[in-house]
Amino acid sequence: MLKIHNASKSFGSTRVLDDVNINVAKSEILGLAGPSGSGKSTLLRCIQKLEHLDSGSVECNEKTGFMFQDFQLFPHMTVLANLLYAPNLGKKNTNCCKNNEKRAKAMLKNLGIASKIHEYPGSLSGGQKQRVALARSLMMNPGVLLCDEPTSGLDVATTMDVVSLLKSIGETGVTMVIASHDLDFLTKISDRIILLREGKIVADMKAKNHKNPVDYLKKYYA
Amino acid sequence: MISNCSYIGKGLAFTLELTFGGVAIGLILGCLLSVLRHCRICIALINGWVSVIRGTPLILQMSIIYFSFPSLMGVKLSMLSAGIISFGLNSSAYVAEILRSGIESLPKGQFEAAQTLGIPNFFLWKDIILPQVILNILPAMINEVIALLKDTTLISVIGGMDIMRRSQIIAAEQFEYFMPLCTAAAYYYCLVLLIEFVGRKIERRMGYAKNS
Ligand SMILES: Nc1ncnc2c1ncn2[C@@H]1O[C@H](COP(=O)(O)OP(=O)(O)OP(=O)(O)O)[C@@H](O)[C@H]1O
Ligand SMILES: [Mg+2]
Repeated sequence: MLKIHNASKSFGSTRVLDDVNINVAKSEILGLAGPSGSGKSTLLRCIQKLEHLDSGSVECNEKTGFMFQDFQLFPHMTVLANLLYAPNLGKKNTNCCKNNEKRAKAMLKNLGIASKIHEYPGSLSGGQKQRVALARSLMMNPGVLLCDEPTSGLDVATTMDVVSLLKSIGETGVTMVIASHDLDFLTKISDRIILLREGKIVADMKAKNHKNPVDYLKKYYA
Repeated sequence: MISNCSYIGKGLAFTLELTFGGVAIGLILGCLLSVLRHCRICIALINGWVSVIRGTPLILQMSIIYFSFPSLMGVKLSMLSAGIISFGLNSSAYVAEILRSGIESLPKGQFEAAQTLGIPNFFLWKDIILPQVILNILPAMINEVIALLKDTTLISVIGGMDIMRRSQIIAAEQFEYFMPLCTAAAYYYCLVLLIEFVGRKIERRMGYAKNS
């Protein structure tokens, strides 16, 4: 499904990814943990081809979607326009556009932000922007969803919402790779967690096999 | 008094022609420059142009165009076209700089977000980048128009009959400086207020997304 093979990447003289090998199975939810600067974001960006590997390869036979830590919504477009712009681009067929619009509206309703549909991103809260960003990437029907720090800046309740949201998306068969600092969040959401440190994989575990997975992972941060 | 006012006011059209002619050329050329800046061969040339234009006095540029072009190229330019060309060329360098900083101030993530959504380059620029850039640079552009309006007074140096020059003529004829010059100042000030008013209108109409 998603195969990362001997991936290495340096910025200047710092080796940010050092011979990383990961296989992600279809529908798997993979968590990426690791201290700040360990290369989580870089790995996600390499999978998305926003960054080029120095050596090694990323093989992915499905379309990827990417959620940025700072969302990167288009500020001059309404929420609905943010969702529809890319999927409707170059579509002459009005039926297809209508369907997209229906889908977008249903998705926003599902995410509990139907009332914000005609607002601009500038007037949304962090959690609301998050949902719009999620909906925008889902509109492209990605087989793999890459999320960078989806819970940073969110309060506990909103984080729980994000957990159930991502879980329900995972249940539709979407494969996910999620980078986060929040070990608690990662253990709740992931089937499997990989811990990076200085660009190397130092742990690869399944949360359900551990009695106290957060403590287990914390040891690697020391 | 009233006849003085109307004599000075006859320069209004000339001043406005210079301003808007200059702004039009400045905008078109400035946009062209900032697009061409993305092409490798042109970068040095354009940077050089911008640097020279910004590094020399406008009055000198205007004098070169008006006084030396006839002997250099055998074309005699009218006062108006010489003025519009110099103000336009001068403004183009500043417009190009405003555009450059407007584009650079957009977060890199906007380009990347468009890339992850598979938006092709042409549409990326047309629908995602430029609308945001225009909104960002609007205040700087309005400043540029105001600066250009005030710079058109330099045309009086080569003899152009604009508001400024006409007020000086009256002053010299009547040996009375205060009123004619204040009249000219009032004309310019009203024009600036008008530009600011229109600018604010446009800004408000586009200003939906101030804080992303
Ligand atoms: N464009 C870049 N140019 C130079 N260095 C970079 C660039 N992007 C990342 N780095 C460096 O690569 C290293 C890894 O960065 P990365 O963003 O992948 O870490 P991270 O694990 O996501 O950290 P965090 O948890 O703080 O988000 C850091 O040392 C960073 O300084
Ligand atoms: Mg990161």
